Amino acid sequence: MENNEFIKQRYHITRRHFLGKMSLGIGSVALGSLLVPDLFKSGGDEASLLAGLPHFAPKAKRVIYLFQNGAPSQLESFDYKPLLNKMAGQDLPASVRMGQRLTGMTAGQTKFPLVGSNFSFKQYGQSGAWVSELFPNMAKIVDDVCFIKTMNTEAINHDPALTFMQSGAQQGNRPSMGAWLSYGLGSENKNLPAFCVLLSRGRGNGQGVYSKLWSNGFLDSIHQGVQFSSSEERVLYLKDPNGRDREGTRKMLDKLAQLNDMNYQEFGDPEIQARVQQYEMAYRMQTAVPELSDLSQEPDHIIKMYGADCLVPGTYASNCLLARKLSESGVRFVQLYHQGWDQHGNLVGEMPLQAQDVDRSTSALVMDLKQRGLLDETLVIWGGEFGRTNYCQGDLSKDNYGRDHHPRCYTIWMAGGGVKPGLVYGETDEFGYNIVRDPVHVNDFHATVLHLMGLNHEQLTFKHLGRRYRLTDVAGKVVNGILA
Amino acid sequence: MEKLLRIALHTIFCIQILLVFLLLVESKVQLPPWLQVAGRMHPMVLHIPIGILLFMVLLMLVQRTLDTTASLSLTTVIRIGLVVTSLSASFTALFGFFLSLQGDYGSTVLTQHKVSGVVFSFLCYFMALFYDWQKQKAVFFGAGAAAVFFMLAAGHTGSVLTHGENFVMAPVTSTNKEPLTADNASFYHFAVEPVLEKKCFSCHNDSKAKGGLIMTSADKFKAGGKNGEAWIAGNPDESRMIKALYLPLSADEHMPPDGKPQLTTPEIALLKAWIKTGASFDMKVADYKPTDSVKFIAAAFTPAQTTSEVKTEYTFKAASEDVVAKMNTPFRSVFPLYQGSPALQADFFVKKAYEVKSLEELKTVADQLVVVNLSRMPVTDKEVSLLATFKNLERLNLNFSALEGKTLAALKDLKKLKLLSLSGTNIHAKDLEPALAAPALKEVYVWNTPITEAEVADMAKAHPAIVFVRNSFHDNSILRLSKPALENDGVTKRDEKVVLKHTMPGVTIRYALDGTSPDSVSGILYKEPLDATETFVIKARACKDTWYCSELYETTVFVEGIKPTNTTLLTAPDPQYPGEGAQSLTDHRKGLADVLKEPSWLGYRERAFSATFTFANDKPHRMVISYGRNLGAYAFPPAEVEVWAGQDEKSIKHITTLKLEQPQGYDANKVAPLTIPLSTEAYPFYKIVAKPVPKLPTWHSGKGDKGWVFIDEVFFY
Repeated sequence: MENNEFIKQRYHITRRHFLGKMSLGIGSVALGSLLVPDLFKSGGDEASLLAGLPHFAPKAKRVIYLFQNGAPSQLESFDYKPLLNKMAGQDLPASVRMGQRLTGMTAGQTKFPLVGSNFSFKQYGQSGAWVSELFPNMAKIVDDVCFIKTMNTEAINHDPALTFMQSGAQQGNRPSMGAWLSYGLGSENKNLPAFCVLLSRGRGNGQGVYSKLWSNGFLDSIHQGVQFSSSEERVLYLKDPNGRDREGTRKMLDKLAQLNDMNYQEFGDPEIQARVQQYEMAYRMQTAVPELSDLSQEPDHIIKMYGADCLVPGTYASNCLLARKLSESGVRFVQLYHQGWDQHGNLVGEMPLQAQDVDRSTSALVMDLKQRGLLDETLVIWGGEFGRTNYCQGDLSKDNYGRDHHPRCYTIWMAGGGVKPGLVYGETDEFGYNIVRDPVHVNDFHATVLHLMGLNHEQLTFKHLGRRYRLTDVAGKVVNGILA
Repeated sequence: MEKLLRIALHTIFCIQILLVFLLLVESKVQLPPWLQVAGRMHPMVLHIPIGILLFMVLLMLVQRTLDTTASLSLTTVIRIGLVVTSLSASFTALFGFFLSLQGDYGSTVLTQHKVSGVVFSFLCYFMALFYDWQKQKAVFFGAGAAAVFFMLAAGHTGSVLTHGENFVMAPVTSTNKEPLTADNASFYHFAVEPVLEKKCFSCHNDSKAKGGLIMTSADKFKAGGKNGEAWIAGNPDESRMIKALYLPLSADEHMPPDGKPQLTTPEIALLKAWIKTGASFDMKVADYKPTDSVKFIAAAFTPAQTTSEVKTEYTFKAASEDVVAKMNTPFRSVFPLYQGSPALQADFFVKKAYEVKSLEELKTVADQLVVVNLSRMPVTDKEVSLLATFKNLERLNLNFSALEGKTLAALKDLKKLKLLSLSGTNIHAKDLEPALAAPALKEVYVWNTPITEAEVADMAKAHPAIVFVRNSFHDNSILRLSKPALENDGVTKRDEKVVLKHTMPGVTIRYALDGTSPDSVSGILYKEPLDATETFVIKARACKDTWYCSELYETTVFVEGIKPTNTTLLTAPDPQYPGEGAQSLTDHRKGLADVLKEPSWLGYRERAFSATFTFANDKPHRMVISYGRNLGAYAFPPAEVEVWAGQDEKSIKHITTLKLEQPQGYDANKVAPLTIPLSTEAYPFYKIVAKPVPKLPTWHSGKGDKGWVFIDEVFFY
């Protein structure tokens, strides 16, 4: 018994710690959020700031992040650069490149021939935002959308850039944005996880996604993203096993909870209670998830809005529809990943297919939220992990080209949830290579999303391995210019 | 006894002399360390004379009510008590001197404290001496009253030295201060001073200037302490004040000293930012450059401000945490809008779990409810009157509820209601109209209700302040259906039915098995599942009114055949793609054309694929080779396939050679069947050879290289 780690742990609890835990524990439970065991673990100043509630009045209550995995080209979508068409074939001036490091894929190229968009652009809406012909439906919603043209990142390859975009660090094992929000805000609906993940794959060349992107990192496992499957059974292992009915499951869980409680009384490890809570949630999910994932009850005009694919599980369209339903049911953070945006070559062939897959259902999602009166409390984000170069990767032919990774600028957009609608924020140079005005770094983006959710990114911390961590680590400023 | 008392009185006398001496020459005194220890015990021993003296006063009062004998016995006790009081008062005063010599208390309050302490100890001595001198009772009691007075004076000045001015009354008096805001106050007064006030002022003030540093006034703060300036403007890392915060807690120089409340990380960041930007006492937040960290840190310190802002917005009282906690069930979440907000939001989840009772229970927090979300709950008209009692309600979501709208008029009494969401309900315009009288109403959502566009226009005209949202996605374009799909997975068993499915209700599916492409009229109408006897290719298309027919769906249904009794590989596959050897060919595990590196695939490049198959009773007439086609990954159809047959291994002869047509450009990846009729004469032994493409065609990115052949299964019928 002397060697038992739990017992040892308890010897080390100081008086201040103990008192802190007591008051905090009571507070957080009383506030009725789902029991968040980290609160018991961390202690100290930051914990008093966290009680499963926003720090201040939030603009957005939920996030739907439509992640375009692989990095869609900003130059063929929203960042219109006619100069590139004029200068097509000419070399990128060194004065513009300014020593930008290159990926292994173009580092060997001796020439960097500029190439303009093969697709035409027009201005839309009252905001006059430029949108390419590839996104005719997104063009209709520009007045509900805030484009950020000056996103910039530090990574030049997919894995670090993706990880950076999702967790605020280029190396893995940090909590994902959804996990941080689950930690800071708790769950609104106790019958569903606070953080859900939906995957789909387009028809273009693409990188995979890995579960580390929706990891809880060092936060409690309760904050991990729950991946919905594209099979008929949307959440795996949720069904009762053959031969056991719901009544039986109930009895089993009750007995199990008693055993766990005995253990908790002995060791006081909050993870035990977290586990009991998760069993209970899974039990309730058995009712809640089928009710949600049954898309067959959606009215005809909804299916027309999202497109026929929305009834085919695992497509981007069906994920958009499911995302709306999850969000409507109080899921804090719904993360979609749509793969296939990595057009190093054959951009002219692949990009239209990719755009076709996402264009209609994305705008349908925004409009669907709007007509339900939910858009102003739901933040929708669309975008990838970096941009694409203004010069061609590989051979520039008459009718086709490719673009390599570009970290210095790329376009994403946000809609709803306290963001100024009909705004184009920031500006890139005529080459679409450098930022001229109002840069938004990945850390700033995170700070802003947390701010919209009512959280101060500097106060949402977690102590791990002797230091306090934040989603924005030691940087990040709220982009006030895009706040409504 | 008497002797002891006498010794005590003599000791006290000596200490009195010493005290007077010290009072005069203290600045020239040097203390040995052990006396410093005694000095530090001053805050402890000081409680002894206070306690005993007060107790003696009590005893003297009690004594007056007693008869003579009892009174006499008390006299002795009081006498001893007064001596002890005096002795402890003398030591306290002495220790106090020792303490004052170590600290940095060069101030008037200290002098007052010293003098009153010494006078108090002298008066105690006086009382102890003259308690027996009963003739002059008035003098004695006068001295007693004076002693109590000086005790209070010394106690008060002492507490100012340790805890700072106004320590006791601070919680009551400081609330009267007018709140500072980022706009009306300088950044220093708004953000920096409150931190210093909480954590530093108690030791660095006019009365107790530890280290000679006084922080309570700007001028003295600027002047610094006896070790120099507290900060170097613009350089927080080199500033004495900041360094002290970062020293280990155990270090003497660490500030605030161990045991006192420490500064939090954001507070330290605040002080650093203030020093970095020049440590100005006058600049307002607005005066700083937008990039200055001061701005962001000031923002971090403003939650208090936001709360006060909203507190004025919500004048009602918060419900107690217990009450709110009780409101929460797995199917009903009730929570404050944010930390410290009295306003509550209530959400309901899971249709099956909804009961009218669960809404009624919210009455307990009726005044605090600002947001109620009943989306998808089977709420009926009856409950509307209940909702109308939530008088502070601002947002009400009743989307897709069971409302008919007959009672909706009750909502007009909700004075604060801003948003009403009724999408997907069966509400008519005439029922909604009376509710629109709610004075604060700004947004009404009536999408997917019987309310028509014209009715919305009329209502909008009558209520110009309200925005109505009926349908925001205007689009009449005709869309394409998604493709139908095969329900069967993997290799189909011979008695299994082949099922085509489509996720959209009401579509018709037409299919063809003869290689033609069905459309909305041609092909066979799919009505029931198909039988499967041999591998076949199926093409299908889904159609529905008001939609374009789907693109063509084409797939191969691989059906299990006669299983060979023995399968042997004559050539080993490439080491990169070994599969599971010969058994991969007949294990009915299908590979995916995108993922060639898995055990169901055998890959060949340098050598031709060559395998033998032995049969016992059932002898095959046809075979299907299932191969992987992934042109981008160099996986091509075999260039040619040879078939050999015989009674056994020795007697085999060449039966046929098939040259395959090669692709002319990239196409979709797929697992394709290669059907080869065998001879009409049934043989028990077959050998198959499949040769990879020796040179990839010129249109391919790997032109001239060798191609690959991937085979996952061979079927015989």
